[in-house]
Amino acid sequence: MTMNDSVRYRLQSALQVRTSGEAARWLEEALKEAQRGSQARLLALYTEASMRLGRLPLAAHAGEHSTATLEGLALEDWTLEDAARATFLLARADSATPDLFEADARACYEMGDAREQQSWLRAVGLLPAPERFLALVVDACRTNILPVFEAVACGNPYPSRYFPDRNWNQMVMKSLFNGVRLERITGLSARANTELARMATDFAAERRAAGRPVPADIGLALSSAAA
Amino acid sequence: MKMIDPHVHMTSRTTDDYAAMAAAGITALVEPAFWLGQPRTTAGSFVDYFNSLLGWERFRASQFGIRHFCTIGLNPKEANNPKLACEVIDLLPRFLAKDGVVAVGELGFDDQTDDEAKWFTRQLEIAREFDLPVLVHTPHRDKKQGTIRTIELLRSLNYPEEKVLIDHNNEETLPIVLNTGCWAGHSIYPNTKMDEHRMAALVKRYGTGRMIVNSAADWGISDPLKVPKTTEAMRALGIPEESIHEVVWNNPVSFFSQSGRFDVADLAEPPAIDRSLLYEANSVLRGERR
Repeated sequence: MTMNDSVRYRLQSALQVRTSGEAARWLEEALKEAQRGSQARLLALYTEASMRLGRLPLAAHAGEHSTATLEGLALEDWTLEDAARATFLLARADSATPDLFEADARACYEMGDAREQQSWLRAVGLLPAPERFLALVVDACRTNILPVFEAVACGNPYPSRYFPDRNWNQMVMKSLFNGVRLERITGLSARANTELARMATDFAAERRAAGRPVPADIGLALSSAAA
Repeated sequence: MKMIDPHVHMTSRTTDDYAAMAAAGITALVEPAFWLGQPRTTAGSFVDYFNSLLGWERFRASQFGIRHFCTIGLNPKEANNPKLACEVIDLLPRFLAKDGVVAVGELGFDDQTDDEAKWFTRQLEIAREFDLPVLVHTPHRDKKQGTIRTIELLRSLNYPEEKVLIDHNNEETLPIVLNTGCWAGHSIYPNTKMDEHRMAALVKRYGTGRMIVNSAADWGISDPLKVPKTTEAMRALGIPEESIHEVVWNNPVSFFSQSGRFDVADLAEPPAIDRSLLYEANSVLRGERR
């Protein structure tokens, strides 16, 4: 079983535990349709997940934190709709050709509202050959909608695995700029680099010149120089 | 005191804002084309946006006695979408030829990518063809480096620096820009970028030469009255009225007049207000029409 298979298994079993009655029946049918149905059906189901399942957390209580943080993936931040959407895309990948799957997956992102895009971005690293979505994920970081940005930057191993240095550094700096705690970024110390340390140093100087506070956790980016 | 807001995104603002700006002494403004907060996915959205800057928004401003000018360009954020960027660049000549378009912009760096550099360069070439000034955005992140790269790019193309307004400066970038022949813009924001008291201190320290102040108000937390508020802050710091007039009137007039489309004599006389006028069958009145 690969790491992604094991995450998928966890998502499915968590969904099973958390849903019952109408929602559970919908989910079972939806999963089959997501695999074999038209793209229009897939998009409809991808949207419907929030209304059918709601935004309850996937892991209901603190004791279940062991289900979380598989390779830096913060499943404890996921909701039921996030998990359902991820399993829809994974089911789709089982039956579609690689090209068709890519088109379907992109459509789910491009036609998605902010919540759907968050779900998509949280799961992108689980999709087959995720590197093909690099440009899309980099572009998603340009959003002004902070929760969408956080879906990439926080508790998501994708950027540390696939982002080139330049995009990685922009993402870390944008986090600092927007008050997103750097400890939430997966792989920060592993991706340390001197250019990032230089940018963080300049940022601190700029804030001091403006008489404004420097974020307390800036050291996490500065320590890059030594790493 | 008469003032110009040389950078404000009125598309995102209400008629209350127009009324307050007019009451505070703003008689003209420049609305640069920028991004809308939500990325556009087709070039058609840009056509409609450019047309609204030249049409509906200009009309709306006139209903409050304010002259509306605009700049047209591809912003750096959306320059990172290769297909879209190509299509929008092809649209630019059609819009840059129009009256009331006083510069190419906003262009410049945001994430400082290769695509941004490519379309920055291409738009400088287009601006040269149209003999228009350029309005250059500088990045929020890694601003100092982005400003240095901007100047290096301008110099590598031998671009006439007096035709360049480098915007969103702060304490770190201002001395770098004043060391060139470029104009230095400052966006006065409630929380980020620059505030009116820091701005007044900068005018006191560096003088008024090539110094420009704007609100850059848009759909984010911002304030379209920041130019009048900066005027007050300069007064409070004992800066003479003539110097304040330089910063909030003469300097933007001098810069944008290089377009040949920013008529100073015309500016002295605000447009007559007749709110019963219609623009494509629309009025700014709501159900109160005679």
